[in-house]
Amino acid sequence: MAQQIVMDVTGDTRHEFDPTDAAALAEARARFKQLTDAGFTAAVRKGSGISQLVRHFDLAADETVFFPRLRGG
Amino acid sequence: MRFVGVDLPLGPVLATLAMLTCAVVLGHVREVSQRRTAEEKALTLLKQWLSPAELAQYEKYSYFEVTGGDSGKRYRIRPSRQMNVDELDERGTRTAAWCFGPEGELPIGDVMLAQKIALENNERGALALANRGSFLQSPPRFG
Repeated sequence: MAQQIVMDVTGDTRHEFDPTDAAALAEARARFKQLTDAGFTAAVRKGSGISQLVRHFDLAADETVFFPRLRGG
Repeated sequence: MRFVGVDLPLGPVLATLAMLTCAVVLGHVREVSQRRTAEEKALTLLKQWLSPAELAQYEKYSYFEVTGGDSGKRYRIRPSRQMNVDELDERGTRTAAWCFGPEGELPIGDVMLAQKIALENNERGALALANRGSFLQSPPRFG
């Protein structure tokens, strides 16, 4: 199972999906687009402590985290 | 009991006040509990995304250090909402503090993780948004 983790006031909301299920994959792809269009940054975990920003849905990603647009404090 | 020129029976008034007070207190307790759960959830996520060295540092000092992806500079990320990203020199002395983070009222763990990811992958972009503070003296360094 792959996971999309969206940061929010509750900590995060997690969406699990089976990457081999075409319908679930389409839903995950749509969610990715919806979030990034709304200004969220997406990053995938590449290894221990290593992440990479992604601008397009990554089929191979086990875990993608989304955080809201950054701003100066 | 007279209230704004109207006679009110004392019993029901007191009962209503007690119920309202109880509702406010329970609401506050629920809010605090939800906030604590959110903080714990965010810390769990943060720890999963840290390297073993970063995690060990965080467990010991409540902060961790990352390397900026563009400059190679070191940054210390502390658990706070404002000015919590310290820029360090080669000796580990704080030379500046940066203030930036994700929009919205996210728990601290989420803020720290977003800052780590941003500094490692888009340091210039993150700092371009950030507010910068300078320091003549560094706070004590632990380890």
